[in-house]
Amino acid sequence: MLIFEPHIHMFSRITDDYERLSLAGVRAVLEPAFWLGQNRTSVGTFVDYFETLIGWERFRAQQFGIHHFCTMGLNPREANDDRVNKDVLAVLPRYCEKDSCVGVGEIGLDDQTPKEERFMAEQIELAKRHALPVLIHTPHRDKKKGFERCIAIVKDCKFPMERVLLDHGNEETIKITRNLGCWSGFSIYPNTKMDPARMVAIVLEYGVDKMIVNSAADWGVSDPMMVPRTVVKLEQAGVPRAKIEQLVWKNPIAFFAQSGRLDEKALLQPARSNLRETFDGNSVLRGQDPDKV
Amino acid sequence: MSTPLADLARHLGPSLAAAESLLAEVRADRTRLPVVFPGLPRRLGRDVAGSGRTTLGAGTIDLPAFRRCDLGAAWLLLATAASADECFDLYAHGDIEERAMLLRALHVLPTGPLTTRLFGEVQRTNIVLHLEAALCDGDLFARMVDRHGFDRTAANKLLLKLAFLDLPLHRAFGAEQHANTEFSRMLQDLATEREAAGRSVWRDTWRLIGMAPCPGTAARLVGGLEHGDDGVRLAAAEGLLALRRADLRPFAAERLPREPREGVRAVLQRLVSG
Repeated sequence: MLIFEPHIHMFSRITDDYERLSLAGVRAVLEPAFWLGQNRTSVGTFVDYFETLIGWERFRAQQFGIHHFCTMGLNPREANDDRVNKDVLAVLPRYCEKDSCVGVGEIGLDDQTPKEERFMAEQIELAKRHALPVLIHTPHRDKKKGFERCIAIVKDCKFPMERVLLDHGNEETIKITRNLGCWSGFSIYPNTKMDPARMVAIVLEYGVDKMIVNSAADWGVSDPMMVPRTVVKLEQAGVPRAKIEQLVWKNPIAFFAQSGRLDEKALLQPARSNLRETFDGNSVLRGQDPDKV
Repeated sequence: MSTPLADLARHLGPSLAAAESLLAEVRADRTRLPVVFPGLPRRLGRDVAGSGRTTLGAGTIDLPAFRRCDLGAAWLLLATAASADECFDLYAHGDIEERAMLLRALHVLPTGPLTTRLFGEVQRTNIVLHLEAALCDGDLFARMVDRHGFDRTAANKLLLKLAFLDLPLHRAFGAEQHANTEFSRMLQDLATEREAAGRSVWRDTWRLIGMAPCPGTAARLVGGLEHGDDGVRLAAAEGLLALRRADLRPFAAERLPREPREGVRAVLQRLVSG
């Protein structure tokens, strides 16, 4: 079964992860621009990071046959930081037009401050101007209220709900998002957020329509194999294969294809891979013979 | 009257209207250029721009190697009189495809220090798509040698990359005119290194070294007549023809009756006839 991993921060992961993902059937990944674990002090580091997402990281994924897409945005945590927030907004339009950029994100709320709300709204307007869907990070603390506030901001901006993915949901938030017309995302973690067994229970109760699962794997304790692991759990629970395929392949493609920059047919073939090539003089081989890898 | 802009507009065909709309956007707000540029493939299309070889501006290109978005990029940069700094900014912040578009546009834009600078970028990296975009399917390389600071040493290094990545010489129009003894030495050293590693050698090596021989050239060309690869034998015969050495004719005469390929035989016959 092919898998589209719709939220993973490969910037923080190693080549072994790409190999394992590829072997587990992950044909494409979506990497949202996010917080790097510590605050940045100037817009230049954002520019370099954005260019890694459209350049080196994409190249690295292709070496393992994986198509790499991204969303661009100012994350809520750094929306609070006046050293960078306005300048990042100013450079985002050029990156929103990059061919592998299929959405604006992850934007949203973290501490639920007025500044976070302002920059979230401004980036929803950015998504409107570039005809892109939005990937919304919801708070990990005071989550239910944060979900409701995110939804209110989307509505205030008159942004179409079908182009909204509200991520990091759980058993409580699905009750809020189920009938809104938006997409509901669930990040499956080894210990926190959601786990595969709880996800199975949600699927059994609510089905898979407009549902999306991801690993949100990053630099912390997380597991890039969480989507394949969830697939196994769903199969064991007797969920029909077609439903599972809809959840892990058709749904994320349908959501991000609203950008007009993603074509399922192109994803049926592995990404082009030429191990002899380098990107800016850099390969992933570290001296290995490309013919023997 | 034929101008590069008018010629490009003609080749854009049905994409011209979309290109004009993007041009209006940039003219109204110059800061939109880096926002508009990445979307050119989506808006103008990635289909091939035409067939045959054509002259655009000072350059000659093979149209089948250029897509509408590549020609659209050239058209937009010309129409907006984009500066070298603006063009380099587009390259520096572009993804792989944007960079390829800009490199293909160089074939049509006036040459200058920007061309040399971007040749340097292509030399520094190892992306086949970019080397092809800058060097192949046009005469840009031939037009640049000894101009805008692109000296013979830099030209040798860039052309060697063509050999390194095994791209055929004929795709860089007129590049054979750049044959020189130092480049022949570089090619022969690369060939020896490849042979020692049991790897294939760039076929055009034999063709080029005959035009500018250095120590070892004659032996390599004569040896090439016995190579198992038809393309190498043809290149070696052509190299010997370019070498114009009467004392080597007997080797061609000896090979001629045993040569199975008509095309190679024809060149050997010319060699033997003097």
